[in-house]
Amino acid sequence: MFMLAYDPTTNPLNNNEWSFPLLEIIHISGFTLSIGTIAIVDFRLLGLAMKYVKPAQLLKEMAPWTLVGLVIMLISGPLIFSSDPLMYLYNESFRFKMGALLLAIIYNYTIHRMVASRDSSPGVAKVVGAISLLLWISVVAGGLFIAFY
Amino acid sequence: MSLLSFCQWLQSTDFFTAIRGSWYVYPIVMSTHLAGIALFGGMIVVTDLRLLGITMRKRPVADVIRQLRPLKWIGLAIIATCGILMFGSKAEEYYFNTFFRTKLVILTLLGVHALVFRNRVYRRAAEFDTTGRIPGQAKLAASLSLLLWTGMVIAGRGIGYIEPPIGIHAAIPGPYRSMAPPVRYSGAPAPAADGGGSATS
Repeated sequence: MFMLAYDPTTNPLNNNEWSFPLLEIIHISGFTLSIGTIAIVDFRLLGLAMKYVKPAQLLKEMAPWTLVGLVIMLISGPLIFSSDPLMYLYNESFRFKMGALLLAIIYNYTIHRMVASRDSSPGVAKVVGAISLLLWISVVAGGLFIAFY
Repeated sequence: MSLLSFCQWLQSTDFFTAIRGSWYVYPIVMSTHLAGIALFGGMIVVTDLRLLGITMRKRPVADVIRQLRPLKWIGLAIIATCGILMFGSKAEEYYFNTFFRTKLVILTLLGVHALVFRNRVYRRAAEFDTTGRIPGQAKLAASLSLLLWTGMVIAGRGIGYIEPPIGIHAAIPGPYRSMAPPVRYSGAPAPAADGGGSATS
């Protein structure tokens, strides 16, 4: 079982009416930026948007914004986690989300990047784009389900 | 019929009663709403940043706007449908919710934004590409768009933090789950986040 040498009741997040919702808003804005810019590349790979620009060029333009979003998300996320670590650790949805997030980040910077930065065949591009969208949808849905299950 | 009694009637219809009573439909609708924001919100941000001359500077403004427009509409349709489903299933609770009202006001302002700037900015983007200069009006439109959509996120998250007036659910049959409760320190293992009713795992 998990033990903590830290008392979350002393965490400012649990003693201030505004800090927790504010962090959530920052978290949502962060992932809208990161996932949103990844999704634009995905929709390009699927042939559904930005058809006149090569995926490699689009990826190059979007990557800095994706990174900014990821950094915001990966700072606000652990802070939210710190408000009640044991609750999150025991939460099935949270565990699912962490698994999906790890997969999604690794996938994004390996297979996704490789395929988007080369002239891959449309078939391969479509599969890679669709998997990316599914992974990120799983991360968001897993996050929302923390409040329910 | 007052607005309040309309809300009460709406949530009492069989369709919305079924959504409210289901343990999984409501969170799935919320997830779809949020995933829609994640997948399509970036397109609004990128369009606005392009108008501000911050990103995709080598791509024509008109091309960025035109290429992202259909997907933005699809995204908006998905997000709004989920929003209507969430509202309808708990219409009375939403009626009393200050953040929900704020969100509707911001949504109206976004409609005004579209009316004001559609012909002045978005349909004239090709001109900006020929002259190579983005006018102040376009930058104003982009900044206001970013501001208003951020407001939508803030008001949207705020909805879950307002407690409904006591006693308004007395007439609702079946299980009732309030809007996503904020996570509060509870100690482990986690109790059901809604305060009871769901199966313990």
